[in-house]
Formats: sequence, structure tokens, C-alpha cells
Amino acid sequence: MRLKTKDVKGVTLIELKGNVMGGPDASSLNEELHKLIEGGKKNIVVDLGDVKFMNSSGLGMLIGALTTVRNAGGQLKLARASEKIESLLIVTKLITVFEHHEKVDEAIGSFK
Amino acid sequence: MAKTLTKTIQSRTDNLLEVREFVMHAARRFGFSEEESSKIVLAVDEACTNVIKHAYQNAPDRSIQIDITHDRETFQVSVIDEGKSFNPNSAKMPDLKQHLSTFRRGGLGVYLMRTLMDKVEYNYSPGKRNEVRLIKYLTPSNSAARG
Repeated sequence: MRLKTKDVKGVTLIELKGNVMGGPDASSLNEELHKLIEGGKKNIVVDLGDVKFMNSSGLGMLIGALTTVRNAGGQLKLARASEKIESLLIVTKLITVFEHHEKVDEAIGSFK
Repeated sequence: MAKTLTKTIQSRTDNLLEVREFVMHAARRFGFSEEESSKIVLAVDEACTNVIKHAYQNAPDRSIQIDITHDRETFQVSVIDEGKSFNPNSAKMPDLKQHLSTFRRGGLGVYLMRTLMDKVEYNYSPGKRNEVRLIKYLTPSNSAARG
């Protein structure tokens, strides 16, 4: 998994790329989130548009990320989940836990 | 059940890409749609991940065998190991609403295997051989030829 972070209109966009399978990836995301939170950045969008494959450990990683951000008083939203990943979110009912937007712009705009 | 394809890997998660490609290719050739094949691939990935984490407790040099057998309508993937026994059918299906309301991370793998496949069977001889059989039936609604 590759992870890239940028600031768009005051919202932090985290782009995930490749295979999202938890393990060491979860530690990288967690470290990144803690840095962001310490810097006062608590409005976060995770862009899943370039994720090729995700398993239950990857889903666990997203649940962990959501918990970290919510505990810090922030919000974490998902954007651009492919049909395959969206169906995974539906099967696991995670779609009821995460706010998901089809487009990154929409997700960023939803913080206003 | 005829037609067996076999792959053996060492128990490391970086070998799972090879397994996913092996299963995807076989499922597509058997006639499943891409969407359905992806579900089978994910279920097999979860079964192998369980073997690595639980049966072999992350030891990187143990062996996992993946056998694919099929007849006209039944597609079966067996994941075989020689580690500590674990019966996924004995794992309680989590109440997802309650599970997720407490933001728990674990426990989704077995749930996914059982939800994505039509049948999950488990056979084991403690300390010798564990086998998880993941079974999916080809139907008009999940075949690549639908519509």
C-alpha cells in the first residue's frame, strides 16, 4: 500500500494506493493520523479510488483510523470506493459506520 | 469432484498475491463473473491469512497448499496447513451492528468467508492436517454468461 497526504481547502486528503491489507500498513496510517491530529488537522478524507484489493485486515485498519480520528474530536470520511470495495462495505455493514462519497470533491465539500 | 489445480506457498502474506491471481484465473475460467470471482478470491485470501496468523502464528517458512477442484456446477477451493487447528465454523458470527458500534477491528475475516461463499467446511487431524473448504455454486446469476 502507498499513502499520500495533501491539504485541500483545509481538509486533509489521504490517498491510498495498491493493496490495503492492514499489518504494517495499519501502523503507517496510524502514525500519519497521529501527526495530523497533533497538527490540529482533524477533518480527513480517505481516497480509495486507487485501491486494488482490500481484505478484512484492511477494513480493520479503516475502522482503527475512524476510531483514532473520532476520539480526537475529528471526522474521517471515505471517497471513491470502487464497486468491489463498496460491496465489501455493504456486506460488512461498514457502510452504516462510514460516510462515503462517490467523488473526492463532494467529500471535501461536505465538511463545510 | 474432478479437475484439480494445486499451488503451494510459504506462509507469508507477501505470497498471497500469487494465490489471489491463481484463484481469480481459475474462477474466471470456470465461468464465474468478475464480481463473483473477486468474492472467491477474497474468501481464499482470508482463509490463508487465518492460517498464517493463527495456525502458523506468523512463522514465515511453513507450507500452505491450495487445491482447486470442480465439477459442472461446484467450485471448491481447499486451503490446507499443518499448523494449530482452528475451526472457523466454531467462531461465533459477530452481531455486526453491535460489533461495529464498538469499532472492533477483528472478527471480520471468518464472517467474510462465510458470507462470500455458499458453504465453508472444515476437516482436521489435530497437529497433522487442517483443511478449510470454500465452496461456491455456479448459477445463472453469478456466471460470466449472465444476461
